[in-house]
Amino acid sequence: MPPRLRLCTQCLHRLHNKRTSLPKYLSTASAITPAPPIHQTISSPPPLARFPPTQPPSHKPPEFRKSQLHRQYTSLLRSTPLLLLFQHNNLKATEWMSIRRELHSALQKTDETLSTDLAPGIKVQAIQAGIFESALLVTEYYHPSQQLNPTASTPHPTDPSIQSSATVANTTPNPADPTLTHSLSTHAHTLVAPHKKSHPLRTLLSGPLAILSFPTVSPQHMRAALSILSPKAPTFAAPTRRANPGYHDASVQAGLQKLLLLGARVEGRVFDTEGTRWVGGIEGGLDGLRGQLVQMLGSVGAGVTGALESVGRTLWVTVEGRRGMLEEEGRGKAGDGKEDS
Amino acid sequence: MITKHITEVTTRFNPFKKPSKTCRVFLAHLPANARTMMKINTTVLTRDSQEPSFLKLKFKDGKEMQLDTEKLKINDVVEEVDRHSRTLNRKADLEGN
Repeated sequence: MPPRLRLCTQCLHRLHNKRTSLPKYLSTASAITPAPPIHQTISSPPPLARFPPTQPPSHKPPEFRKSQLHRQYTSLLRSTPLLLLFQHNNLKATEWMSIRRELHSALQKTDETLSTDLAPGIKVQAIQAGIFESALLVTEYYHPSQQLNPTASTPHPTDPSIQSSATVANTTPNPADPTLTHSLSTHAHTLVAPHKKSHPLRTLLSGPLAILSFPTVSPQHMRAALSILSPKAPTFAAPTRRANPGYHDASVQAGLQKLLLLGARVEGRVFDTEGTRWVGGIEGGLDGLRGQLVQMLGSVGAGVTGALESVGRTLWVTVEGRRGMLEEEGRGKAGDGKEDS
Repeated sequence: MITKHITEVTTRFNPFKKPSKTCRVFLAHLPANARTMMKINTTVLTRDSQEPSFLKLKFKDGKEMQLDTEKLKINDVVEEVDRHSRTLNRKADLEGN
């Protein structure tokens, strides 16, 4: 049968040429449509979260200053092993400024002698006691990695009990969602609540407070800071007027009189003022402490070997003495025998 | 709190005990230039000391006030101090100073 659509020979030729010139991949595209992987047919991927991963829903509205301070304090507490607590009684801005200046210069001097670079990381800041307490509890008692951490739910695609309109965890911005484990979550808040009254630092956290935070435990830097902020001779003697005239400025001295050392938190442990001074007074820093420990252990070892040796030695001495006695007796008897003969 | 009639403040407390809060907040109530106007002696006790905290005040008219901060809260202390300070205020007003 002739073609119904009558085409001129030229057009037919062109059409034919076009068809042959089609690229290969287009002509074969429909042939290798990949089958969905088996795990996708059994379970569907978790639905997309309705909030950015960096801004999970929090227990308190995140735009509040309180929430941001809580975040700031938790991150500070997690990153600083050494923390000094001060009470500040109505310090003026100029006094704060001059105290910070003196502190920074003293710490820089320590840095130069020890050839470290810690001075920029050591800072005094006034804190909000209530929020700091909450942040402290979260950092000490809330460990999301150790607890049961339910992941975002993965509903079965063919499960008839799940309605298509059912809400799935992790999709709605609900702060009570158990999948949220950040320190501002409701989960953290409820887990930490029972510990509220038992923390040893709790009684300190009231009134106007300031903290001095160190990025590492460095007794030398601590000593330099204490000799500026809370001087006490002889270990933490304040710099003399000749050595550091700036320290004896009226603004610095007036400010320091109103600054009161209360305690410290060193690697999770709470110290009072005496304990703080003891930590600051460790000679030679952590290396010095290690040296002392090695020396102590060495002397203990020597003592033990001496004690163990002494038993054998006394036995040897006794036996030797007895042998000498017997030999002398034998010699004496031999001499007697000779005399007799 | 009226602080202009106070000449001396002596306080002692253990910050790791709850009653110390009264003393500490009282110190925070004093104005920024308090050290130029009055003498302030503060003793911070060690953590395991059992000594009770106290607050002792001296006024311009020579009156001494010993406050038991183990029982009194900061509001009670402020009330006590203000009660005497107001009489001193009134006296000063009557004298025309």
